[in-house]
Amino acid sequence: MVQHRSRSFILEEKSASYDETLDQSALPNLNSNWVYNKGAWFIHIIIILIVKTLFSIIPKVSSETSWTLTNLSYMLGSFVMFHWVKGVPFDFNSGAYDNLTLWEQIDNGAQFTPAKKYLTAVPIGLFLLSTHYTHYDAFTFLVNFTFLIIVLIAKLPQLHKVRLFGINRL
Amino acid sequence: MSLKNVNYVESGISMTLKARCWRLRAFMTKHHRNKEFKMDNTAYPALNELFVFLNTTLTNISIFYSRIPGSGILLKYIKNSHQNDPFRTVLEVMLLVFGIIYLYKNKYRTDNSFIELTPKEIEDLVEEWQPDPLLPKITEEQKRELDKVPIINGSTGPRVKLMNGKTVMNLGNFDFLGFSINEHLKEKAIETLRHYGVGSCGPPGFYGTIDVHTEFERTLSEFLGTEGTILYSQGFSTIGSAIPSFCKRGDIIVADEGCNFAIQKGIQISRSSIKWYKHNDMKDLEKILQKIKDEDIETGRRLTRRFIVTEGIFENYGDISPLPKLIELKKKFKYRLILDETFSIGTLGKRGAGLTDYFDVNPQEVDMIVGSMCHALHSSGGFCSGSFEITDYQRISGPAYVFSAALPAMLAVCATESLLHLSRNPYLPATILSNTKSFKNALSHVKYIKVEGSLDSPIFHLRLNDDVIKVDSSDEKDKLLQEIVDEAMNNGILLTRAKYLRSQEIFDVEPSIRICITASFTKKEIEKAASTIKNVVNKVLKNKIR
Repeated sequence: MVQHRSRSFILEEKSASYDETLDQSALPNLNSNWVYNKGAWFIHIIIILIVKTLFSIIPKVSSETSWTLTNLSYMLGSFVMFHWVKGVPFDFNSGAYDNLTLWEQIDNGAQFTPAKKYLTAVPIGLFLLSTHYTHYDAFTFLVNFTFLIIVLIAKLPQLHKVRLFGINRL
Repeated sequence: MSLKNVNYVESGISMTLKARCWRLRAFMTKHHRNKEFKMDNTAYPALNELFVFLNTTLTNISIFYSRIPGSGILLKYIKNSHQNDPFRTVLEVMLLVFGIIYLYKNKYRTDNSFIELTPKEIEDLVEEWQPDPLLPKITEEQKRELDKVPIINGSTGPRVKLMNGKTVMNLGNFDFLGFSINEHLKEKAIETLRHYGVGSCGPPGFYGTIDVHTEFERTLSEFLGTEGTILYSQGFSTIGSAIPSFCKRGDIIVADEGCNFAIQKGIQISRSSIKWYKHNDMKDLEKILQKIKDEDIETGRRLTRRFIVTEGIFENYGDISPLPKLIELKKKFKYRLILDETFSIGTLGKRGAGLTDYFDVNPQEVDMIVGSMCHALHSSGGFCSGSFEITDYQRISGPAYVFSAALPAMLAVCATESLLHLSRNPYLPATILSNTKSFKNALSHVKYIKVEGSLDSPIFHLRLNDDVIKVDSSDEKDKLLQEIVDEAMNNGILLTRAKYLRSQEIFDVEPSIRICITASFTKKEIEKAASTIKNVVNKVLKNKIR
């Protein structure tokens, strides 16, 4: 399933075979189309607000901690949903998307589409907001920033169908 | 302006930038007005002028900035976020720049298959398009092929009447048990037709299932000794539906290279990764299973469903799968076994219950027994037999079961009656066996042809012996074999070449004449037919010796 590129740590998924392209085009990809549905963008903000409120109302939790926790939950959640889980949960395309993450399925792998731009802007905005409202010490800042960078790297067009160090290859 | 003054201005860190700007401006204008623009240190006038220039420019920029509406908020934000850590601010600014660059990039596709056409190009393509004829013109070769097809006057059976009035012995007939001339079955069929009508009027899941279908399923399960059976309405699509209802992309199928066309299509539709082992070669099968196991350990890949697919009697070769060895291997390597018994059901074993009967193996050791009622049972449709879980799962996931109309009632009744008739007449499979043996023995000494397949299999192929016959291309071989078929027909025996859709077969199959031995003939008739074929073969191939 995976193509090795001259012993480097960059492992690339093979491009789709004839059968795969056939199955992929048999039905629209219902797994990734929802990113353009009504409210699919707004729900991110609502979820972030809910998560932030939940963390804030816990007694004795400082604003730094609640922002860090909000940041981490959103980054982790979106990383798992968009960049870790592969394939389609239902049998729509006879497994033709089994090797692709949701991010790679969105817009049939096209880059810099509106949905992808929005989904990149949200974590950046969330991080900037959180640094603004808090006085992070070096450690918490680093934790927040690292998670943001991991999420952003996964979204880069250069990493389309690429499995760095073979992570999440199988 | 002294350097001290400059320092004073610089040291006003605690002031807001805006206030600082105003103060600096006041300071500068005052000095301008008083024309006291003298430097203390006159040794470097150029350097001083540079400082002054820089300061004025910066001041002017900040004045200009302060006039932009909303600039105060941004300034306040930066100041808040800055928190005495310029490194942090730099990181954030870089992040912001990255975000803005990302937002302004143009969309592009990563799949190269998509070709964007201009409206004009689309119009041109539409203009150019010519519809294909509904019926393509037949080629010379196809015409020759069609001319050779014998036309039977009346119903088919062990002896058929041709259009030219001649009655010939039919050795191309899959009706191994001779049920096509069974009057009892005919009566039953007519009776059912009067009672239930012709069609079933719906797929099994939607009002298509009637009592006779479940009755057949029960009878067959009892006959084979399995837990449950599911009845399909077409023989050919049974295996092509049973395989993909369990095997999906990522699953592994290990299949025999000699598998028939229906199995090949079933495997292809399932989209599983497929490994072929050499035809009926258990050593090769074991080697491949071991290799897959080694790969599992090496790559640490996820365990998926694994199947071995093979045929009971191979349609294309007429030999028999070594079932005990297959079961041993499947247990050793933890695979499931799908066995296509299309030709072995009704013909092999003491009771005619197929390969498991032949090898005296518990049928529940085979995970799926797939077969067809089109041949020995002389009806139509197919079945898949196995555990309750396996058969019931196909009722919602087998494409051919879910999407096609159920089997007509009379065909289901015919199949049930055939099964009952077979169990009442246990000598029938034995007759087929003895007929086959005597036919093969009679043909075994012809040096021009090879009689392929197991001695016990009633379906087998006559292939040209390449050591003796000097014909290379398969077209030429087909022509030669057709000559034998024609000559045999003149001598009162109806034969057929095995016909393939060569462009879609995965492995090349040698051209052959396919012979089916049925229980309808006596030993004498069979021996006579064999000697006739022997003479015909000798006559046609005599001149083609190497």
